[in-house]
Amino acid sequence: MNMIEVKNLKKKYGDMQAVDGVSFHVKKGEIFGILGPNGAGKTTTLEMMETLRPIDSGTVIIDGIDVAKDPQAIKYKIGVQPQSPAFQDKTKLKEVIEMFAAAYGEKVDAMKFLRDVELEDKANSYYESLSGGQKQRLSITTALVHGPKVFFLDEPTTGLDPQARRHLWDLIRGVRDRGISVIMTTHYMDEAEVLCDRIAVMDNGKIVATDTPENLIKQLLGRGFKKPQEVHQANLEDVFIDLTGKDLKGDN
Amino acid sequence: MNRSLFTVLTFVRINTKRFFRDRLALFFSVVFPLIFLFVFGSLNGGGGDISFKVAVINQSSSEFSKTFSTQLKDSKVLKVNSEVTTLDVAKDKMVKSEIDAAIVLPAGFGDIASGKDYPSGQVQVIYTQNNQQSASALTSILGDQFKSVNSKFVNTDMPFTVKGEQLNEKSLSSFDYTFAGLLGFSIIGMGIFGPINVFPELKKMGILRRLSTTPLKVWQYFLSTMIGQAFIGLISMAIMFIVAITVFHLNMVGNWFELAVLLILGITTILGIGLALGGWAKNERQVAPLANIITFPMMFLSGTFFPRFLMPEWLQTVSSFLPLTPIIDAIRLIVTEGKHLIDILPQLGLIGIWMVIIYVIAFRVFRWE
Repeated sequence: MNMIEVKNLKKKYGDMQAVDGVSFHVKKGEIFGILGPNGAGKTTTLEMMETLRPIDSGTVIIDGIDVAKDPQAIKYKIGVQPQSPAFQDKTKLKEVIEMFAAAYGEKVDAMKFLRDVELEDKANSYYESLSGGQKQRLSITTALVHGPKVFFLDEPTTGLDPQARRHLWDLIRGVRDRGISVIMTTHYMDEAEVLCDRIAVMDNGKIVATDTPENLIKQLLGRGFKKPQEVHQANLEDVFIDLTGKDLKGDN
Repeated sequence: MNRSLFTVLTFVRINTKRFFRDRLALFFSVVFPLIFLFVFGSLNGGGGDISFKVAVINQSSSEFSKTFSTQLKDSKVLKVNSEVTTLDVAKDKMVKSEIDAAIVLPAGFGDIASGKDYPSGQVQVIYTQNNQQSASALTSILGDQFKSVNSKFVNTDMPFTVKGEQLNEKSLSSFDYTFAGLLGFSIIGMGIFGPINVFPELKKMGILRRLSTTPLKVWQYFLSTMIGQAFIGLISMAIMFIVAITVFHLNMVGNWFELAVLLILGITTILGIGLALGGWAKNERQVAPLANIITFPMMFLSGTFFPRFLMPEWLQTVSSFLPLTPIIDAIRLIVTEGKHLIDILPQLGLIGIWMVIIYVIAFRVFRWE
């Protein structure tokens, strides 16, 4: 069964057709990546699905509910991790969790959610004292306080060091393994390749390809594509990880 | 517990805690109004009694004049500037309005003239054109004093006399009057300047946007801000009252509970203006000019810093309809005249009308980003 069904979605800003007839579906418990250059319409597509932007035409159905018709019901079904997550300062982490749970009318055990992302020893620290990676982790667990069925992430690993990225990947896989559908955008192809079960490539407001990363690579090779240079069995990132270890560094 | 209410109360709890962690916010809502209170309180001379600043220039060497000038210094009505000892210095100070008048005890004042058994003399009150009123008041005060002195030396029969009698202890001292205005100023500070600084910042960081992905409704967010702000406002004003009563002898004659009800109403009404401005604006630059246009007329016309009865009639009429005016008037009526809520229904009605108007606008223009 498809958790998300997007049909012929369109959005226009002035003269520019930002999203031009996008259709795709996302299954329950898979990580779906949306790739594309800046201005391709990724964020706008996500924002329409998240009820943050009015839909010009087309439909988005999440767990059987039409986003345009009942945005309030959709908000209980989805968790959203914006591009640069921020919370108000002078607020303790456990208070951040309590506040967001309260926004859904729920009372939760904040420590449990902090434990999920290994931030329990920071429970009484203020938000502004966290590192970039810690902020991302807090943001993820905050987006999940109400037990959503769909989880949106907009460029979650931008600006993180390789250790923090890998740690975040594990977290995102963990979310998927709980049966939550994950939709994410990214500019890192290596990330999409190792993390996403399926990807859609967008350009100029349209989806130009949808498939698993392997299939897309196979199709390209099938068309006779060859890399201009010899392919190493390792890249510089592998060297970096080998030299500095996989464990999270410092206060990441 | 009702879920919507739980949401609101959780936001109130956490945001109020957060407020007390924020030194800058604490300064502006508690310390800043106190500074104004001290400045205006001192300007009004503490108790608010009328007093004259004078110089006493004693040119006589008689025993009587020495005693008399000491008595002047002890007088409650006169503030004697003891630095001034010559007439030239006194004239200079009068020109600068640093003193109201100079009292000169001329040479020979208080001497016992030959053939008499009591001292005599004439005191001169010297004043400038601008100070005629003070001078004539001063002259009559001194005249009164001499009258009682004279009666000790010469037994005179006075068929007609006048005696002042204090009737109403509760009449307004000028500090009592100013204090209600200072509370009004504090309400504006918290209700308008707070949100217009906080909201654009929250929008810039995307914090409100993040909240908008949750089912949180605007009214829940507003209500939590109103409750939190009313709570903090009451604490801040309680401190102002404590200082006003202990330091400046404010005479609070009304009912504290009724005052609290009125203050909560006032704070939440004015906060609505801040919510409308901050909720509408996309950034600080957009909100500043509009906030000034709305705030400054209220600050000067609603009786915050000087009484409205000093204004021309038409301006009094216009300014009586500003949202802050009935709040300050009502505070004054409760604090200084001991009126009850039932007596100030016209003011409460006007506050209520403004509250509806302001919050309808605030809800309509609110944007999460």
